[in-house]
Amino acid sequence: MNSSSLNVLASPPLISTLTPTLKAFHRINFSSKLSKRIRCMHDPSINLNFGSRSNPKHDFPVSLATAFVEAPLGTTTTTSADKLHLLVSEFRSLTEPIDRVKRLLSYATALAPLDDSARVPANRVTGCTTQVWLEIKVDELGRMRFKADSDSEISKGFCSCLIWILDGAKPEEVMGVSGEDLSEMNVGVHGKVQSRVNTWHNVLMSMQKRTMALVGDADVEHREGDRSEPHPHNLLFDYVNGRSYVESSSKVDRDYSISLLPLGYDFTI
Amino acid sequence: MEGVAMKLPSFKSLAPAAISVASTFSTRRSFSFARRSSSLSAATITADSEPASLGHRARKDFRILHQEVNGSKLVYLDSAATSQKPAAVLEALQNYYEFYNSNVHRGIHYLSAKATDEFELARKKVARFINASDSREIVFTRNATEAINLVAYSWGLSNLKPGDEVILTVAEHHSCIVPWQIVSQKTGAVLKFVTLNEDEVPDIDMLREMISEKTKLVAVHHVSNVLASSLPIEEIVVWAHDVGAKVLVDACQSVPHMVVDVQKLNADFLVASSHKMCGPTGIGFLYGKSDLLLAMPPFLGGGEMISDVFLDHSTYAEPPSRFEAGTPAIGEAIALGAACDYLSDIGMPKIHEYEVELAKYLYEKLASVPDVRIYGPRPSESVQRAALCSFNVEGLHPTDLATFLDQQHGVAIRSGHHCAQPLHRYLGVNASARASLYFYNTKEDVDSFIVALADTVSFFNSFK
Repeated sequence: MNSSSLNVLASPPLISTLTPTLKAFHRINFSSKLSKRIRCMHDPSINLNFGSRSNPKHDFPVSLATAFVEAPLGTTTTTSADKLHLLVSEFRSLTEPIDRVKRLLSYATALAPLDDSARVPANRVTGCTTQVWLEIKVDELGRMRFKADSDSEISKGFCSCLIWILDGAKPEEVMGVSGEDLSEMNVGVHGKVQSRVNTWHNVLMSMQKRTMALVGDADVEHREGDRSEPHPHNLLFDYVNGRSYVESSSKVDRDYSISLLPLGYDFTI
Repeated sequence: MEGVAMKLPSFKSLAPAAISVASTFSTRRSFSFARRSSSLSAATITADSEPASLGHRARKDFRILHQEVNGSKLVYLDSAATSQKPAAVLEALQNYYEFYNSNVHRGIHYLSAKATDEFELARKKVARFINASDSREIVFTRNATEAINLVAYSWGLSNLKPGDEVILTVAEHHSCIVPWQIVSQKTGAVLKFVTLNEDEVPDIDMLREMISEKTKLVAVHHVSNVLASSLPIEEIVVWAHDVGAKVLVDACQSVPHMVVDVQKLNADFLVASSHKMCGPTGIGFLYGKSDLLLAMPPFLGGGEMISDVFLDHSTYAEPPSRFEAGTPAIGEAIALGAACDYLSDIGMPKIHEYEVELAKYLYEKLASVPDVRIYGPRPSESVQRAALCSFNVEGLHPTDLATFLDQQHGVAIRSGHHCAQPLHRYLGVNASARASLYFYNTKEDVDSFIVALADTVSFFNSFK
């Protein structure tokens, strides 16, 4: 893929500041399924409902990046880390808090719907003040696929961003995202208020925990060696410290799993 | 009546003509009341005389309320979670540490004697505040939650047998559910829950029927922190005592807002938190009838609560010391006493009267916003709501609502389950938003809230 398309596709769909690039994107030949869902994004005052609501039949996210990931293997070089940085800079460019909330809510409308069958207690992300469901599976290429929903629009926006970053990623990439990276997002809330950021963390933790549980073999351990030192607040620090992942993953389903302490806060003296 | 108004700390008359006769704290006794009364309406200073309502006057004592958050004036509507503290209370705390901080009860020297005097005086003030007959019936704890745990572990573990029943309601705060769950697991007692009736208040008839020979304890709230309803404690106590059961009243939302008379209620136990009644955090109290406390074993063990300590056993002190192990929160207790003084100076009946009016105003305004569902009873001739409203807006998550209200309008409300998950489950919701008022709030605060709420709803609707 050439760098210009990389640039475009790496950006989430609704950036009005990247209008020129988006126009460039329209010229790129992509699957017809995708082009049907592109609405005019030049005028920010137009209803930002992206179209996922009006078409109940489609079952994959409108996100450009996801479509990108579904393209044949070997064509993608954007890692989750790259996407995360792009998202961070996108939100950083929005100086008014209300614009960040608006952007987040726009992402919320772009989130792919979750089947009712997936709204089961096992899919609940615990510890959030809102209800969040997360469905996760591994596709035939060994990549992690995520779908989520929430009863709160702001939480849906968080999920939408996280899924844009991580859907279709390899398990190591999923494990490599840290809570601290997310607090950079500073989304929807002033300062670094922890309480809404908790949703980010909880959903990310859930994604990582369940990725571990699904991808249950020594290959992951082996590939883990390439990863940089994981974040100390990662729930699965046992695994990282060399203990068998089987042991640690069974431990994390204890009853005492919720903490009301601010996640991402540095408690070291 | 005038006397009460005169004693309002740092009172400054708002009536323009009387401003030159500024009433400062030190000169209030020599204040020319005649001059002031001629410049104000004939009603003199009543709780709701325009423009100087109790809320407007009291605000001056609370510096924290005069700030901006996120570029908007702070509108603090979360007093049910914790109240703000007036300058007098903060001064009392500061004074303690600056002038006579010392450990209590055992010292001989001057500072220790003074600290002990003030600490026990604070206990007396609390006792007087709730009209207990003896200050030894007041046990200082860390908060109401600890007080309930004290009763659960001390009275509960030694008095509940398998098959005994403890009656609660589904609207209880977690602190009045979880300790009983723990104790019932240990003792084999059974918990029974009163549900709500069609007015969304606990069903009193159901409660009455539930009380039986097997009932040993009825533990209920006085005023609900979600429904804003109140329970007829006096009647409940009569029914309970008829079968030999005890009554514990969770008065966290009632003691700060109205006159609570434990002798009139005749409750066996009553708990409240200081931080909800203009006092500091870290202190609360349990009121228990003397004969009950005397028969109860200790809760926490350590210093202060003992009489003699040997290696193999110890003997315990009389109540209340028996239940106050270790160095207490001395400064905080003294500040709580100052809070009781502050509230009494204004007058609890006056505070209550003002809040009833605010409660009606809040409910009416909130109910007029479309798609808003308020929980609890509708106010009427016979039903008075507390000055709080838990509500939900159709299609808008309360957490999103609270986030937006805070960020764009500086309005502080609470969202979540308000430590009443069973109640929310019963009502069929996951969470609710709650705006709660105290005597330092004004009708303008309510107006700001409603305007902000309408703006929030339309913002989120624009994304649908």
